[in-house]
Amino acid sequence: MADASQTDAKLVESETTETDAVAGVAVGLSAVLFSLSVAAMFERVSLTGSLLGLPTVTLLGGLLTALGVAVVAFGAGSRLGYVETDPDPSAGLVAGFGAAVPWIVVGGSVASQTLALGTAVGVVAGMAVGGVAFALTVLPREDVGSTLPLGSLLALTGLVFLTGVIGPAWVWELDWAQQAAITAEFLIPVATLFSALYGGWASAKAYGGFGARGRHMGAYVLVYLNALSIVAFLFILVAFVVVQGIPGLLNGVELGLGSGPQTTILGVSVTLPVSVPFVMNGVALFNDFQGVLPAIVGTVWLVLGAVVLAVPLGVGAALFLTEYADRGRFTQVVEIATNGLWSTPSIVFGLFGFAFLIPRFGNGKSLLSGMVTLGFMLLPLVVITSREAMLSVPDEYRDASAALGVSKWQTIRSVVLPAALPGVVTGVILGVGRIAGETAPILLTMAGGTFVPGSQTVDVLGSFQFTSAPPFVANPALLEATSALPYQLYALISAGVGASSNVGNADEFRWATALVLLVVVLSFYAIGIATRYYFRRRLKHT
Amino acid sequence: MSEKTTQQTQTAQPDADPSPTTTTGETVEQTRDEWTDYEFRGETKIAVEDLDVHYGDDHALKGVSMEIPEKSVTALIGPSGCGKSTYLRSLNRMNDRVSSARIDGSVRLDGREIYQDGVNLVELRKRVGMVFQSPNPFPKTIRENIAYGPKKHGDLETGLLARLLNRSDADERDELVERCLRDAALWDEVSDRLDDNALGLSGGQQQRLCIARCLSVDPEVILMDEPASALDPIATAKIEDLIDDLAEEYTVVIVTHNMQQAARISDQTAVFLTGGELVEYGDTDQVFENPHSERVEDYITGKFG
Repeated sequence: MADASQTDAKLVESETTETDAVAGVAVGLSAVLFSLSVAAMFERVSLTGSLLGLPTVTLLGGLLTALGVAVVAFGAGSRLGYVETDPDPSAGLVAGFGAAVPWIVVGGSVASQTLALGTAVGVVAGMAVGGVAFALTVLPREDVGSTLPLGSLLALTGLVFLTGVIGPAWVWELDWAQQAAITAEFLIPVATLFSALYGGWASAKAYGGFGARGRHMGAYVLVYLNALSIVAFLFILVAFVVVQGIPGLLNGVELGLGSGPQTTILGVSVTLPVSVPFVMNGVALFNDFQGVLPAIVGTVWLVLGAVVLAVPLGVGAALFLTEYADRGRFTQVVEIATNGLWSTPSIVFGLFGFAFLIPRFGNGKSLLSGMVTLGFMLLPLVVITSREAMLSVPDEYRDASAALGVSKWQTIRSVVLPAALPGVVTGVILGVGRIAGETAPILLTMAGGTFVPGSQTVDVLGSFQFTSAPPFVANPALLEATSALPYQLYALISAGVGASSNVGNADEFRWATALVLLVVVLSFYAIGIATRYYFRRRLKHT
Repeated sequence: MSEKTTQQTQTAQPDADPSPTTTTGETVEQTRDEWTDYEFRGETKIAVEDLDVHYGDDHALKGVSMEIPEKSVTALIGPSGCGKSTYLRSLNRMNDRVSSARIDGSVRLDGREIYQDGVNLVELRKRVGMVFQSPNPFPKTIRENIAYGPKKHGDLETGLLARLLNRSDADERDELVERCLRDAALWDEVSDRLDDNALGLSGGQQQRLCIARCLSVDPEVILMDEPASALDPIATAKIEDLIDDLAEEYTVVIVTHNMQQAARISDQTAVFLTGGELVEYGDTDQVFENPHSERVEDYITGKFG
């Protein structure tokens, strides 16, 4: 009977106890510390200021110490039998190395720098301290091994912050040879970040009661925090550009009927009801507000041209490789060549355009050279992804079609291509994402200027002319130097402060350009994703 | 009669027997041509003579000769790797799609040789349709799946241009779709969702859709490669009933691993054994109840294979 009830207790975990709550709070505390450290790293939280009425560094130190003490206490409680857990005999080698690394850093830095004993002693001391941490993790039972070294590391870091040994004004001047210094602004967030990760790991293991379940919890928390930080970094990056770019973008915005410029849409002259000078003007002497319209239009045409060039070629090549060519030496060579082409640095493509295309297209930097260069850059990715997509179309479809007496080309057109389209579109999305922001090739092939007058806005559709001599159609717009957003941004930055006389606040102008570039690239993404969604829905059952 | 006795004597005294042995030293039964001579009433639809198929160095089918009667069900049985699927795929030249395949011998459809220059594969495969082991509808709507073949052959025009020129065959198409689905016993289940994606159907429905798709190009012969092996018993029963009905109008050749199934649905049965040999071919009742070959008897009663 006693055995049975014990088994029951193990099978069905009892409701939350106080000890579980302690471990749970510790996990939550690590998450809070993690977000605080990320915020501090991006200066969203000031280290010299205060938070919740306490100086920030003191608060961080206090939280770290509390977390460390809680983790150690939990481990000790478990070892002494006050807390019911299910630990393994050892925390394992991975945990051992995990604990050794930060202790090597701490031991080494303290010996060589704080105690000024020199590099050699520092290395030895670091190894010794790391070795002790390793032994303390691996040798005792898991509940002690996975809490004691990490918990004491946290408590130590926390105490260093609390006691002000490392405060907001702390600086570590590195050797003159490195000409750099590690400041508190960098060290405190980074140390907190890693401590929070370790603390989260240790307390999650404790929360799971150690053993297999504890390790699962630990891994879960680590992976979750990692995923979260990726989202956070992306969000911070975008938010940063938006916050910096908005003032410049909204400079002189007017809403209301008739406030915008006149345009012709489908032959009808319309006065737009909104005016955003930054994206509707070029730069001119008598403009009230300056803008980057020529570069936006240039970027759109550039990407369209590259896609129109690369997609039919790439899809055709992929079709030949998957459906017609026998798999052998030749397809292998083509495959290696495409992969190599995809990894070729963009400046090399730019040089190729500069040396090969420009002399052939009117001997001057032009939109056409840019389109062709970027088309060549896009080509390998379109080939690779289209090939993957076509290979993943099941052979059963081809068999079924052949068994109905349908010819190979008709099978490809009606069955293989539709089934491969979402994959092809994915490839084009990825490729466009890369080439739309590419600066080096267009720097060499189509250039443009730092401040482009609105009159230089490229008008590809309106520039087609018929000529009496072959090739009977000409388009001068394609052969003119054209500006694109990435290049203009680069030119604005390298132009330096002298630029400010032209556009009022040059800094705002730059950030707004960056924001517009981001928005243009993201809109290409959005178009691509919508297209893929459309084709996928046609394939999936409803 | 005397053959069978000889056969038994041979196995009773393996040491005294001069018949060839395999590398393992096991006695191999000598197959006899009489075992595959099957005299049937009715017309011959397909006549196969000395058919050899190699995949690279692998000799998959060895000198198979058999005649398949019209408007009946012929079952091909045998253990895995015995060449029965290869044989089936030779009948509509699907083996041509395997680049390493080499095919010798003769296959005549209604007396016309299909392995010769100038054979129109489109026409051949329209006349000899095929249903595969796993259901493989296209990722399109049910209607499009059925109309696919006729459309590609130019028998139906429903495209944008046809609609603009006001000569769209939409009505003919819908009639065709209904007729094929009825013939495949699927109409009642899907008539209200013809524009749903075919991948949303159950496995059994998908397989009947594939049969309907096969019927859409008006074949004379239907080849089926283990059509029910991926299906549950109820769906299998439906397919079997369907095959029974189809045999009134079409010549059905079916490969199956399921011996009961072969016994239930077929009029004649061909047994292939390991090595790509056709060992026995005859009336289904005779093959199952009173086979000439001992190896066939062992296989049918489950002693090997």
